[in-house]
Amino acid sequence: MNGRRPGPDPRRNATQPDELKTALGSKFGDRILSVEPFPGMAGRVRFERKAAVEVLQSARDDLGFSHLSMVGGIDWVDHREVFYVLWSDAIRQYVLFSTDLPADDPRVESVSGVWPSANWHEREAWELVGINFDHHPDLRHLLTPDGYVFHPLLRSFKLHEPEELEVKSRHV
Amino acid sequence: MTTPATEVARPKVGTMAFEGRPVDDELPMVQQPGVPFIEIEALRAKEFIPAAKEALTSLIAEQGQAKLIRPVFNWAGRNSLFPLHWGLACCAIEFAAAFGARWDAERFGVVPRSSPRQCDVMIVNGTVTWKVAHKLITLYEQMPEPKWVVAMGNCATGGGPFRTAYSVVPGVDKLVPVDIYIAGCPPRPEAFLDGILRLEQLIRERKE
Repeated sequence: MNGRRPGPDPRRNATQPDELKTALGSKFGDRILSVEPFPGMAGRVRFERKAAVEVLQSARDDLGFSHLSMVGGIDWVDHREVFYVLWSDAIRQYVLFSTDLPADDPRVESVSGVWPSANWHEREAWELVGINFDHHPDLRHLLTPDGYVFHPLLRSFKLHEPEELEVKSRHV
Repeated sequence: MTTPATEVARPKVGTMAFEGRPVDDELPMVQQPGVPFIEIEALRAKEFIPAAKEALTSLIAEQGQAKLIRPVFNWAGRNSLFPLHWGLACCAIEFAAAFGARWDAERFGVVPRSSPRQCDVMIVNGTVTWKVAHKLITLYEQMPEPKWVVAMGNCATGGGPFRTAYSVVPGVDKLVPVDIYIAGCPPRPEAFLDGILRLEQLIRERKE
């Protein structure tokens, strides 16, 4: 009976968004911008970007979301967003943390010190969506060749003629 | 017991017909004019070596070594093509199926090898991204001469459906010289075998 179940464990009380709000709000105050319900997850927590490492460290240590499942970036044209999907083995639930970054300075502190698995996720978000992760131990290209000058998942990225792309991405 | 009434005509053992004549066009083995053709009827093993030695010596004296060796090398090379065994995408599945029991590419002497230093054909079977491009060139440069490249499938030929994508090389001929293009998405093993036979034809006609 040790197999993984999809979804929350019915024998345990699922964490509600107001519980998250109480736990995090008492510690971080107004650096937690909002906590709202999110389908399929315990909730969605939006926090201020300066507090990224502290909030996520607290989510790991105090709330028990021990596993970092995913880090990604979104380009919303007027701003960008970084999201972190965490998983708790205790309550068998995901939770979504996210923060908004200004489009002209998409910069956030790296959480590679909290979860070493964030390393490659942040490399991918950096090269595809152009989000700069401060104090990342190894911010190199992951999927595109070294010296690749584009951030191809940005909305402003246009499809190039093959010859033009070849000149800019050839590194052989 | 009765003996057979007539003697069966047998080839005369111990003779070898040899002439350094110009080539017939029907003979498939030799294509270049002026290259001699050796015809050996039947020979005992102990007689073969001195006979062949004498024939080859006189041939080399008459024709020159390089001219004589080239068709032999072409013949040996095209019947033992060793492609590099590395799969890039779904064309590699068809490539692997071509070596299974149904199509059996080994009957043409095609045996995939895992080291580029043992190979003479690079079969690019899949989408080549810019990330893997310099590895492809490294593998190509590790292969000994003479070497050929087969672009298998639409992705390797021209980028395929990903031609305008940000990460895909639009045709592997931007990186290495390609000899044979096989169309298809993915090409069936029959198409792969056809490409191999065309490559053999290419090698057969090779002068230098």
